[in-house]
Amino acid sequence: MNTTLNDFVVVYSTEIARRIKSRPFQIGLILGLVGIFVFSELPGWVQHAAGASQKTIVLAGAPALTAPAKKLLAQDDFVVAATVEQSTAPTSAGLDRYHAASWLQVAQGPRGLKLTVYTKDPANVPSDRVKTDLIPLSLELASSMSQARIQSLLDAPITIKSVAAKFGSAAQATAAHGVASALLFFLYLLILINSQLVMSAVAEEKTSRIAELLVASVSPIPLLYGKIAAAATLGLMQMVIWVAEAAYLGSHAATTVTAAASGHASSGLGSLTGSVTTLEIVCFVLFFFLGFLQLATLFAGVGSLINRTEDLGSISLPLIVPVMAGFVISIAALDAPDVSWVVATSFVPLLAPFVMFARIAVSDVPLWQIGTSLIINAVALWGIAWMAGKLYRVGMLLYGRAPSLGQIWQVLRS
Amino acid sequence: MLDVSHVRKEFGKVRAVKDVSFHVDDGVTFGLIGPNGAGKTTIMRMILGILVPDGGSLTWNGKPVDSSMRRRCGYLPEERGLYGKMRVRDQIAFFGRLHGLVEPEIGKRTDAWIERLGIEQYADRPCSELSKGNQQKVQVASAAVHDPELLILDEPFTGLDPVNAEMLLGVLSELKAKGTSLILSSHQMWQMEELCSRFCIINGGENRVSGSLAELRASWPTRVLRVAPATPAVRAIVDRVPGATFVADNDGKLDYAVPSSTDFAAVLRAIVGTEAITSFEAIEPSLHDIYIHEAGRAVA
Repeated sequence: MNTTLNDFVVVYSTEIARRIKSRPFQIGLILGLVGIFVFSELPGWVQHAAGASQKTIVLAGAPALTAPAKKLLAQDDFVVAATVEQSTAPTSAGLDRYHAASWLQVAQGPRGLKLTVYTKDPANVPSDRVKTDLIPLSLELASSMSQARIQSLLDAPITIKSVAAKFGSAAQATAAHGVASALLFFLYLLILINSQLVMSAVAEEKTSRIAELLVASVSPIPLLYGKIAAAATLGLMQMVIWVAEAAYLGSHAATTVTAAASGHASSGLGSLTGSVTTLEIVCFVLFFFLGFLQLATLFAGVGSLINRTEDLGSISLPLIVPVMAGFVISIAALDAPDVSWVVATSFVPLLAPFVMFARIAVSDVPLWQIGTSLIINAVALWGIAWMAGKLYRVGMLLYGRAPSLGQIWQVLRS
Repeated sequence: MLDVSHVRKEFGKVRAVKDVSFHVDDGVTFGLIGPNGAGKTTIMRMILGILVPDGGSLTWNGKPVDSSMRRRCGYLPEERGLYGKMRVRDQIAFFGRLHGLVEPEIGKRTDAWIERLGIEQYADRPCSELSKGNQQKVQVASAAVHDPELLILDEPFTGLDPVNAEMLLGVLSELKAKGTSLILSSHQMWQMEELCSRFCIINGGENRVSGSLAELRASWPTRVLRVAPATPAVRAIVDRVPGATFVADNDGKLDYAVPSSTDFAAVLRAIVGTEAITSFEAIEPSLHDIYIHEAGRAVA
């Protein structure tokens, strides 16, 4: 094995071992797992908790009206705590007695059904849904049609067909948006967290003064890239673990929510499975590596210039801006993947890993555009690596005052 | 053999090394001495291939020094650093692997160094839990675990108590006996005198003097003549020696600075003929004296 390769392998394997044992990595991995679980289950919990109180009602009015109304509301998961014949306004204690959020007074009016809702919190009354649920009863009262006839008229079939080849149905398109959003979020987190870990590791070596001993033992370039490769490997490992958890939770949620074919409540990651193409997986991995390597290399080069770990925050902020911009543009790209400025940014280094991936996930991006973006970003990576290598080589031995922009420029030109 | 010939290095407008030359023969312990900012660390970094000189040449056994020099060298920088959370054993083994060692050799050598430096009880503890002196030992082991051909040590005795300093002296003597070339930089002149057989004193990025201690002394312009008793007769004789300057009266012994070319035998004969002499010494300059003189000369 030649010297450079040996150095790279030694640095790489040692970095992997060091970082797996490090608390930040372990905590980050666990927090990620917990976060995905919470993100997956939270909508269901919130909906359940909110729905339980908001959708528990008391129905008041003539039995001829409350009976069919109860049946219609039950189809929308409303819980009718009680039906009463009372026609006067209830008191707050009256609602408490039935543990209900609202008191729905139904009566026959000149234009069909007349509805009055008494509640302690008018802001949280699902009035539109109550109104929609009770349309059949209102129509029945206002016309001579039977309820069966009314139901059949209301259930007019609707078919949504996509004119783009990407998705065969509206459900597929919705699912793809969900998947793309989730994957973009993963991409953003992984690139940002792991790049900052590389920067911290470089800064730690410099501030702990082990840097000089290291560069006396191994060339700076295998040292730098050994570290970055180790971080990329661990990032990929994190990604596989997180995505596997998300996929499991998604499939689990999809199974339990399949019953809700009506398109109602769906878990946050319920749509993650079943709509990811091979191209998306390949592009996700490729753009993860490109984005991560670009940013991590840049972070490592700049991190070698600092003398105190306290300076990490201030020096990393300007570097995070393009990543945040890329993420924000990619969210916009999910809704407008073919707008000219979105297309243009899908070629720009540091932005492209997010924007191009978002476009691929929701539209048919021509292969030449994907290829061109990959080439541009690979070339940009080479340029960033060249620049960071120069900074790192000098920065790791530079102590005392932080270098001025002029000095940095001089280093890059040397 | 390491040959450093007229090397120079600039950092922007700062000329860290202007013109330095010396050579280190195989198996020799060489003292690179100079005040802070003299350019010692820059020269060491150039020898290791970390920095590229702007001029001059550095060769190792006739071949230009490049980054491959790292494999043959060991280095203990002045600013110490370790991975705080890494175990002592892993730290030493890591540097062994970086220098091309493979198992089971790494394990054997790591254990041997741990035992030699008396840090067995800390072998499996994180480095951050060790005292400064013990951390220093780990760094010495990390620098030498791969049996380098050339070991460069910048202020190796800093932070060591007398017992551990003695142990390090012993370790360096063993390496010297094994044929390892050593380049040492230290401000502890007595240790340098004890360890090194050749020296180079630099200041302001330039050579001042270089050679063995005997050569340095030979080129020294004065000697201290110490004579007793401090009687007027003795004083009168020494005052007549050409170039003699009275320095001090040390508890009844007179110290004079006299030219190195002084005929001490003639002076001794003159004194013996007039006074019952109790002490007569021609004191050679110490490395400390030479260093102070050369450093001061450059500053002035």
